[in-house]
Amino acid sequence: MKSSLLLLIGMLMILPLMAQTGTTIQGTILEESSGEPLPGVSILEKGTANGTVTDLDGKFVLTLKSDNSILRVSFIGFKSQEISIGSQTNFDLQLLSDLGNLDEVIVVGYGVQQKETITGAVATVTSRDIDKAPSATVSGALAGKMAGLAFRQPDGRPGAGAWLQIRNMGTPLFVIDGIQKDEGQFNNLAPGDIESITILKDASAAVYGSRAANGVVVVKTKQGKRGESPTININGYYGWQNWSRFPEGVDAYEWMLGKADADINQFGNTNISAEELDKWNQGTEYGYKSFSWKDFIIQGNAPQSNFNASVSGGSERTNYYLSVTRFDQKSVFSDEFEFNRTNVQSNITTDITDKLTVGMQINGRIENRENPGVPGGDDYWQPRFALFRNRPTERPYANDNPDYPANINNIETNWALLNYDRTGFYENKWQVLQTNFTAEYEILPDLKAKGLYSYYLADNIFNTFEYTYDVFGYNPETDEYFRSGGNDNPYRDRGQTKIMENVWQLSLNYKKTFNEKHNISAFFLNERIERTRLFNFVHAVPTNNFLDIIKFADTDTYNDERQEEARIGYVGRVNYDYAGKYLLELAGRADASWKFSPDNRWGFFPSVSAGWRISEESFMYSFTTNVDLDELKIRASYGQLGDDNIGIGPFDYLSGYRYGASTVIVDGENVQGSSNTGQPIDNLSWYVATIADVGLDFSFGSGRITGAVDYFHRKRTGLRGVRNDIFLPQELGYGLTDENLNTDSNSGAEIAVNWNGKAGDLVFRIGANASYARSKFVKSYNPTFSSSWDQYRNSREDRYNGIFWGYEVTGQFESFEAINEHSVNIDGQGNKTLLPGDLIYKDVNNDGKIDGYDERPIGYQSGALPSMNFGLNFNFQYKGFDLTADFSGGGMYSYNRNWEMRRPYQNGGNLLASMYDDRYHRADILDINSEWIAGKNPPLRFNTGGHSNYNKNSTWWLTNVKYLRMRTLEVGYTLPEKLLSRWNMERARIFVSSYNLFALDNVHQFGIDPEVADENGLQYPQNKVVNVGFNVSF
Amino acid sequence: MCHSNKPERTMKNLKYIYLVIFLAFTGCSNDEFLNREPTDILGGDQVWANDDLVFSVMADLYNRLPDYQGLENWWEYASFDETFASNAGDYWRHQNQEYGYGDWGMWDYGLIRDLNLFIQKCEVATEISTESKTRFLAEAKFIRAMVYFEHVKRMGGVPLILEPLEYDYSGDPTYLQYPRAKEHEVYDFVIAEMEAVKDDLPNGSTRSRATKGAALALISRAALYAGSIANYGQLTPEVSLPGGEVGIPAAMAAGYYAAALKASEEVIALGTYELYDQDPNKSENYSNIFLNKSSNNEIIMAKDFLVQGRTHGFTIDNIPRSLREENTSGGKMNPSLNLIQSYELLDNTFAELPTMDASGNPLYYDDPMDIFAGRDPRLLGTVIVPGSSFRGKEVDIWAGYKLEDGSVISSGQLGGQAQLPGSDTSVQVVGFDGPIDQLEWSAQNGFYLRKYVDTSVGSGQRGTGSAVWLVRFRYAEILLNAAEAAYELDQLEKAAEYMNQVRRRAGFPIDLTPGEIDFDRIVHERKVELAFENHILWDKKRWRLAHRIWNGVTTDLTNNPGNALAVSTRVFGLKPFKYYEPGSPNNGKWLFEEFVPAPVFNAHRFRLGNYYSWIGDNVRNNNPKIVRNPNQ
Repeated sequence: MKSSLLLLIGMLMILPLMAQTGTTIQGTILEESSGEPLPGVSILEKGTANGTVTDLDGKFVLTLKSDNSILRVSFIGFKSQEISIGSQTNFDLQLLSDLGNLDEVIVVGYGVQQKETITGAVATVTSRDIDKAPSATVSGALAGKMAGLAFRQPDGRPGAGAWLQIRNMGTPLFVIDGIQKDEGQFNNLAPGDIESITILKDASAAVYGSRAANGVVVVKTKQGKRGESPTININGYYGWQNWSRFPEGVDAYEWMLGKADADINQFGNTNISAEELDKWNQGTEYGYKSFSWKDFIIQGNAPQSNFNASVSGGSERTNYYLSVTRFDQKSVFSDEFEFNRTNVQSNITTDITDKLTVGMQINGRIENRENPGVPGGDDYWQPRFALFRNRPTERPYANDNPDYPANINNIETNWALLNYDRTGFYENKWQVLQTNFTAEYEILPDLKAKGLYSYYLADNIFNTFEYTYDVFGYNPETDEYFRSGGNDNPYRDRGQTKIMENVWQLSLNYKKTFNEKHNISAFFLNERIERTRLFNFVHAVPTNNFLDIIKFADTDTYNDERQEEARIGYVGRVNYDYAGKYLLELAGRADASWKFSPDNRWGFFPSVSAGWRISEESFMYSFTTNVDLDELKIRASYGQLGDDNIGIGPFDYLSGYRYGASTVIVDGENVQGSSNTGQPIDNLSWYVATIADVGLDFSFGSGRITGAVDYFHRKRTGLRGVRNDIFLPQELGYGLTDENLNTDSNSGAEIAVNWNGKAGDLVFRIGANASYARSKFVKSYNPTFSSSWDQYRNSREDRYNGIFWGYEVTGQFESFEAINEHSVNIDGQGNKTLLPGDLIYKDVNNDGKIDGYDERPIGYQSGALPSMNFGLNFNFQYKGFDLTADFSGGGMYSYNRNWEMRRPYQNGGNLLASMYDDRYHRADILDINSEWIAGKNPPLRFNTGGHSNYNKNSTWWLTNVKYLRMRTLEVGYTLPEKLLSRWNMERARIFVSSYNLFALDNVHQFGIDPEVADENGLQYPQNKVVNVGFNVSF
Repeated sequence: MCHSNKPERTMKNLKYIYLVIFLAFTGCSNDEFLNREPTDILGGDQVWANDDLVFSVMADLYNRLPDYQGLENWWEYASFDETFASNAGDYWRHQNQEYGYGDWGMWDYGLIRDLNLFIQKCEVATEISTESKTRFLAEAKFIRAMVYFEHVKRMGGVPLILEPLEYDYSGDPTYLQYPRAKEHEVYDFVIAEMEAVKDDLPNGSTRSRATKGAALALISRAALYAGSIANYGQLTPEVSLPGGEVGIPAAMAAGYYAAALKASEEVIALGTYELYDQDPNKSENYSNIFLNKSSNNEIIMAKDFLVQGRTHGFTIDNIPRSLREENTSGGKMNPSLNLIQSYELLDNTFAELPTMDASGNPLYYDDPMDIFAGRDPRLLGTVIVPGSSFRGKEVDIWAGYKLEDGSVISSGQLGGQAQLPGSDTSVQVVGFDGPIDQLEWSAQNGFYLRKYVDTSVGSGQRGTGSAVWLVRFRYAEILLNAAEAAYELDQLEKAAEYMNQVRRRAGFPIDLTPGEIDFDRIVHERKVELAFENHILWDKKRWRLAHRIWNGVTTDLTNNPGNALAVSTRVFGLKPFKYYEPGSPNNGKWLFEEFVPAPVFNAHRFRLGNYYSWIGDNVRNNNPKIVRNPNQ
């Protein structure tokens, strides 16, 4: 019996193999939700070019070309299916819409949750959106993608990241695959390895306790799927970068004319003659040629490329994802300024028994920054500074001979020297390995235990070698070159950092449904985090420009550091829902940080959140069906989070002597001084952030239109302040230490709406989001002011943070008469330094002079993130074509022009062309008595910061920025499956994309990128990038 | 097969899991995990059991000795009339009309507390030797006296806190309110304290740590200050407070002068110190006083530096432009013409620099150095003038070609080239070292500083820096202190002898007679001998000269450089030109023009309220017993 039964089973199993070449099959394809037939669905016999499409009634007929066929059924906007053909010849299939996200799973603290049961404020972005931005760093790809995420990228140099904050609350915590990490680690993941990024914006972050007060960014890397055949993905792009914008300077003639103008404006005469100006104007005579430093330094079309190969898949018991990515980016200066990174990611999970699953994740990278070793701190500074520091009357080479770099006014900005041959090198390399080991054991069907151990090793080395070099002059009389200066400072340094981190997590997860309607889950976790940082730095004065090694005899500095951190957390979370209708979550975390004194280490951060899915109520039934509402949920959360980053050192609670506080030379001997550490700070503990959030989630038309609206308020208490009602005489020699006394708040709202739809063959996804968040100082301990003015000007009580104070400019003087008649003393010197075109300040307090008492709030924070952020995302697919257009924007932040952007001839260098082009000047520059001609800008002065035009922040120099920026614009074409199938390819797509093509904003007239923060305007701006690329899957 | 084993294995695993959970939630000591050791903090018990560690604390206290002007803050030298700051970021020093009342203020009771704590702990320390203990205590008291001296010369009388105070957290800190001591009480404390500890300190053997010589030098200086405040304070009766916090009774002057003279003569009598006189070239000899650290018995106390230890950037900032070893910075201090013309002729008379003859025509010189010839050799030891050499290389300072019609051919670029009339090839028309108007980091006013600028190669490099030390007390000052005290005590013979010792070393062939010693001479000698040594402000204050010579009036350069009362409110410069008139006998010769550098807008004004600095609101609000300083 037994054997015949086996035989039968065996035959049944073999039957599917019996489909014969030449068999004709037929069927109907229906849409799952409506039951309507779907025309135009592609049916393909896998591995062949044999296929067909459904007719108007959703029917198809296909004659098979091979035995043992697999049918691949695909249609744009629907999830593809693969079916093994057995002996069956007639198929009725239902296709599931791929448009909505009803069953979306969201990564939350230490786990995942169905979107519909989430009660916290979260936002998610997935790989399909992250991949589309050709950004060096992950942060750079997130502009405008998530409601509640404030974004600004002031710096666009190779390898640069963006500033990110959740709801403008401060630097968030980054959690990658369950491990708390830092921003650098987050930024340098390979974007292609990321499956999703979720931001936890409210008290739902409380499970991350001690460091979650500013929100949490949770990253999940890609995993293979069980039972999926191996897929090999190869993606790549190659692109060309150019600066989005950079301020323009003037040419040599304009420079000289402007200088003469400025001299006469300031001193009444100039030693620049008309003949001389004429020679500069002609620009042909030796020594009178203009030189464009911008053309010399900025090469443009700097290449950038990214290539990634990955394989993912799984068997019944194992799934895996293996990937390697290489990213290369050069700067617009030259190929010698570059960034590159190689990432590997390996995620494997396997079931050892039915109950025990183990996994290992390895994330590694090598990250390189290399460039010529330029004297000064930031090697990318001098090439940019050169554009305004060097005069167009100067030339890089003596007698234009490239063998002889010239001695210009500021040699360090002579680009002729800033290359590996002449100035030396700098390299900065990170080698990082993160390994996570997990084991999950099913104790009972409803109870799982999980253990995680993670080891992180990061190694950084930077190496600088700055050579000595000569610069030359040229004597035309004798045709001789002579050394006229140079760099005699050989500089060599090396710094090495090692960071080692251990993380242990043990958790229990319980999940059970009682009486079909009571769903309960509970989660407990214990986490320990330990981090050690070792750093050493050596500096030498090398004897030659050739040898790389550092010898003790040449060194003059050696620093050694070691720091440890330790944190412990106990997490508990209970979720309850009744019939998926009423949702409740209670969570709490007890956290300890080594940073505080032993008595103040522990903090407890509880949170509660609840949701009500109104759409599940039976009384809503007729309403929901009428408007095709599938989800309407009201949710609210309230909870506390902590912050141990309160600006104290880890051992400030100890008293003693800090060894090495000073280097003191005593009779030629080097003695390390020890300083008294002062009053111990042993009373400080956590900042406590209390966040309340109310939100609404909705979804219409089977997930076609979805959205969320949130309002939040965060109040932080325990900010540092001092009890100022006790007047300790300064003669005591120490003051009261800070206590946890002050309070601030942050509130705002955000909205996100997505529309997924289909019109004929056109499938589209449109998303829009906007968010507003602004912080306010609430109260300090016993605010005291010496006068009502002091209170007005300096109080922070119940005021927005980041208020920019300055003077209001009401206009410009049009003539000397107007200056003489002006009764307000603007320059503090009876207006004797003023000229037509100079700025008129408003004398707010009517005291006849302009001084600090006339300052008023004129703008927002200037070096911070926008308070208003928004994004618009468009994605269209039509047959094989796809188009992505993403926009992002911001507002409610300010840009303060200063230095080069404010003062003509700053440092005696170049000046902004717009200041020269349209300015108040005399009809005949060289004739002090000729009439004045009006212009937009004040008259020129040479390198003068002290003048009343320039020495005050005012509405003239401050811009309250608003911008809308085209981020990604990408057009792709996916080759038809029929074609691909022949080559055993699953997918092949080619695309052309651009990034930062244009921006609409109100700072373009200064040549400033709207996200630049440096007041001198000389920051390396973001690039405009054009890429071509491909995605191939096998 | 599988079936039979399964339950047992699950059981085992369960036990294991339970154990792990138990450990996770109740086990391992959290405290042990959280307690980490600092890597750079020594405990008090560790320090006070070890001479070397105590000295490490002491070294840090030495390191915190304040210097208003010094090698690590050169810019403060440009606040008065000694030098022009050829650095755009410091032009404001020549553009602000008035000094702020808060300028050079100080109220550093944090440092005083650390000193008091050190003394307190040292007194009870049992694990260090008595010998070390005695010396450490004397040193700490020396530093504390220095710090109180620093306070009194800036602020007037300050509360004399000599024990570490402690707040009892009772909510009522009024018991911690101490009033300001009288100005003379602070001076008296400094003098008495140094008298008390001087014999606990070694005689010589170190110039970084306190010695008997340094303690006496401090008395010499402090008593002289106190004496002159008592004496010249009579000229400014409004600069005083009724409680004596500011102002010293005139009757005390003689006593202080006597103390200053006595302490100075004690230093002289030690025999440890002498004037540095090793180089036949007197200018060279003078600059070497500050550069020679190995065989130099003039230095009593200095702040030391060391290559491969700790260096400063004074040379990087001030080396002549064409000699700089770095491609940035250099030439920031341009000593003023005001100072330069103060150096006497070798016959002990004063004269302006001869740029014009009696009828106002320019004087022509064959060599740019000629105009400086026959002057006090200390001039060339202090200043690099056009045509002189530094580090064996001639410095290239000239402003351009002057043509017959008075017009100038020059260039906006150092060493720039242009064509002269009647020629079609370009030639150099301005020096590689300046002066060029408004070109910072070069001799914008025609001069560079030599004093304290390091001659050793590498000292002008950022990576190396200079190890030249900052002299705080030297023997020549003691002689001048003695001379001044003797003069004020009408001991003119003695005054002349001490002053002549300094002048002979400087290279003057003819001594001054006792009858030639007067107040102008005293003021002048300190001005040139101690230029750029952080004396100018304190000297002008104690003589109550500051408000008279820096009176805010835009005044031309004095034609009486020896006059102590000559107004000097703006810094001047000197432009050397080459004369160009082919065929003329003067063709190729040098002529000079005095000028005011373009960034110098306003005249310095030292107000009566500047004599004693503003005491901050925070200080007075927290202690109502602190009275304000006068005239503010």
